[in-house]
Amino acid sequence: MSSSSTAGGWRELHLSLDTPWAEVHHADIATAMRTRAVDTSLGEETSRTVSGAAPRTSEQTSRAVVELRGIRKSFGSTEVLHGVDLVVDPGEHVVIFGPSGSGKSTLLRTINLLEEPSEGSVRVLGVEYGPGLGSNERRGSAIQLRRHVGMVFQQFNLFPHLSALHNISLALRSVQGIRRREAEERAAVALRQVGLLRWAAHFPGELSGGQQQRVAIARALSLDPEVMLFDEPTSALDPELVGEVLAVMRELAESGMTMVIVTHELNFAREIGDFNVFMDQGLIADSGPRGFLDRCDNPRTRQFIEAVL
Amino acid sequence: MSLLANYDWSLIWENKEDLLHGLLVALEVAAVALVLSVVVGLVLALARMSKPPVSWIAALYVNIFRGVPALVSVIWVYFGVSLLLGINFTVFQAGVIALVLLYGAFISEIYRAALQAIPRGQKEAGLALGMNPIRIFARVTLPQATKIAIPNIGSMFIGMIKDTSTFTVIGLLEVTRVTQNLNSTTFQPFVLYTAAAALYVAASFFFDFVFRAVEKSLTTPPAGGIAKFLTGRRRRRIEFVVKDLEALSGRT
Repeated sequence: MSSSSTAGGWRELHLSLDTPWAEVHHADIATAMRTRAVDTSLGEETSRTVSGAAPRTSEQTSRAVVELRGIRKSFGSTEVLHGVDLVVDPGEHVVIFGPSGSGKSTLLRTINLLEEPSEGSVRVLGVEYGPGLGSNERRGSAIQLRRHVGMVFQQFNLFPHLSALHNISLALRSVQGIRRREAEERAAVALRQVGLLRWAAHFPGELSGGQQQRVAIARALSLDPEVMLFDEPTSALDPELVGEVLAVMRELAESGMTMVIVTHELNFAREIGDFNVFMDQGLIADSGPRGFLDRCDNPRTRQFIEAVL
Repeated sequence: MSLLANYDWSLIWENKEDLLHGLLVALEVAAVALVLSVVVGLVLALARMSKPPVSWIAALYVNIFRGVPALVSVIWVYFGVSLLLGINFTVFQAGVIALVLLYGAFISEIYRAALQAIPRGQKEAGLALGMNPIRIFARVTLPQATKIAIPNIGSMFIGMIKDTSTFTVIGLLEVTRVTQNLNSTTFQPFVLYTAAAALYVAASFFFDFVFRAVEKSLTTPPAGGIAKFLTGRRRRRIEFVVKDLEALSGRT
């Protein structure tokens, strides 16, 4: 992508912000987001993400891809999230880390409503999907929400009875209603993006963990999501297979995809994280922009980072 | 040896057509009942896994009909329904309904266990992709559950074939009834019932083979000749799509 086209993308975004958000076509947003994200890597003066630690004003968040406000979640009588706010901007890579049981996976899963929050607002691309803060707000359905949000799971969750290709084409046919032939062709393209075209006819059971996770990433990407969620994508992998999955994620990040990643791979987090979130006991205990992992001075955060690295 | 030679074994060969026809009738009733039982069983399994009032009714049904013997069931359906409601089923219909009432209950338990064995993550993956729940059930959960359920459904089918023997009581001309009829004129019960037993066992062996083949075809990757034949087209289509794309990317 050339820098001239990215500049165009910037202008397009600002123009579109003059119109009410609901009227903006999603494709326009997607284009604008991708191109803007390239800007963040090119020059810091064009990017807000470097100032991520500063409080985000409503003007800033109006173009956010994901906005969580006051998220509380209880399982039975146990509350695991005690009111969490998180904003993810277009093209931003948010990394969430913290001890197990701190609520980071639950938080991630509220973004696409796999966990229905008990309280709070889940806004994606400006549309409210969660319980909401105001009572008179119109809400989108969970299915609409999930069509904008891709997710990759720790356990891959490929469909074991379908080949790699059909794992992807089933999703395409079910969600976008396209014909089998076209779905299979697009699935093949998606597999090629993660370097697994040769394995198209193989079943998940015949693939290594790393390959399975790459198929899972391809499956989520084939539906053109606006944001990708990663729930400990490398935690179930043999150490030698972690690299290939991280490589795919790195490439995806460089292409400008908006990403929210729950991970224990702090080296990867340091490299990729535009905004870093440390969760502890159901709250965001600490957070900061790029460089946060090396600079943070909160003793609890430091202690955790040093223990993991 | 001499003991066996005292019996008139030629009777079997002389009446082979009647006996085989009896087997055919038994298999027809069992096969129709199997298809309907799977449908009923699946509905019952879903009902039992749903919310309380519905799940209680399903559980009550299952527990009642698992306990009813086939003989009682068929007498209910054939004579009882006729007396109470005035509906007169043919013996074939009554046999099928009697089996479905019982085996629907058994198969619902088989399916319930199979559906519950599918990891939560499968449904979550479908939801996260934006698939609607009906489609997730039809294309993700059900195929995997069926694969788990197939061996047990096979056992149920063999049980169903054997239970048709009780339909003698309503006059269905299946193996046992044919045997009884032949015995009443020839008085050779040992010979005739041995032949009947052999037919049931042969059917059992045959359908064990059939269900094994089906089971194999559902493994991933599919195993066995029949499975390869059935899934070959799909595999070739994938290879075609892949080659197409490789050729395309080679050119650019």
